[in-house]
Amino acid sequence: MKIVNSIIKFGVLAAIITILAVLGYALFGDRDLTKTSPLIGKEAPGFTIKLYDGKRITSEELKGKTVLLNFWASWCTPCRQEAPALEEAWQKYKDRDVVFLGVNVWDDNENAMTYMKKFGGEYPHGIDPEEEIQVNFGIGGVPETYFIDETGKIRDKYNGPLTRDIIDYYLERAMKPEEQTS
Amino acid sequence: MTLPSTNKYTGFAMMALITLILFSSAAFATEKSIDDRVNEIAYHLMCPVCQGQSVAESNSNLANDIRMIIKKQLEEGKTNQEVLDYFVKRYGDSILSSPPTKGINWLLWIMPGVAVALGAVGIALFLHKSKRPEGDVESIPAEPGEESESEYLKKVDEELKKYE
Repeated sequence: MKIVNSIIKFGVLAAIITILAVLGYALFGDRDLTKTSPLIGKEAPGFTIKLYDGKRITSEELKGKTVLLNFWASWCTPCRQEAPALEEAWQKYKDRDVVFLGVNVWDDNENAMTYMKKFGGEYPHGIDPEEEIQVNFGIGGVPETYFIDETGKIRDKYNGPLTRDIIDYYLERAMKPEEQTS
Repeated sequence: MTLPSTNKYTGFAMMALITLILFSSAAFATEKSIDDRVNEIAYHLMCPVCQGQSVAESNSNLANDIRMIIKKQLEEGKTNQEVLDYFVKRYGDSILSSPPTKGINWLLWIMPGVAVALGAVGIALFLHKSKRPEGDVESIPAEPGEESESEYLKKVDEELKKYE
């Protein structure tokens, strides 16, 4: 009976240690699980945006520049919250080979135009006429923002409303060579 | 003289034609339409903005976009697996309704079985411990009150025997 009790105690201890080890691995072991997108570190999907001023801009034309690609919608309250920070950051970075590009998704054109006048700022905004860019970039909601470096690689993705500090942090990372930030 | 053999050949030709029609219609019946394949794939994908709904069940804008892209890719000639891979590449394994058994995911598949097994072992141990061996019943010492009561009853029995 004594041996059986010892085996049971050992079994319970082993089970607790195993559960803790699995939880530890889940939290800290596989860093891919903590990424905000599986596209981080990979080439950004190609896109063509039809801008609200009538022009078109393609991902190919943006090679050599750091890109902040911000997805928004007029009905999205957090998008309104982040709008002033985006405009301020745009004024700061516009002369440093950085492109800010707003992409309107899941929206009504009239509402989008009204939103643009109030919150759009001075940087360009547009839509994907094919309505595929949001899925190509793995968007789950708005606002979501991708930071793409000059080689066209996605360096970071931020889910939720941006602040000046967040924009500065991710843009500075995207502007540096990858080996200096990893 | 040639009429019977002509009839024979015509009969064979008719049989062959009927067989061909039957087989080809069966083949068409088993081939899935694009819409069926869209639904099939959509059921394998979880809607990223919904609570526990697949892309096939959701009416959200994103689910509509995903269904549209599935259809477009199937029309381009992609296989079901290639379409699923496209979404996994963008949303990760979490978009799949059945996570693949790789990495940490294998735990999701084995943990229910392990939990049931551990529960069964626990119940078995509990039942084993709570079951009293038959011999032990008599070996349990009686309460002090019980002991004196049994002695008293013995005496009563002895006294009664005297009068029998």
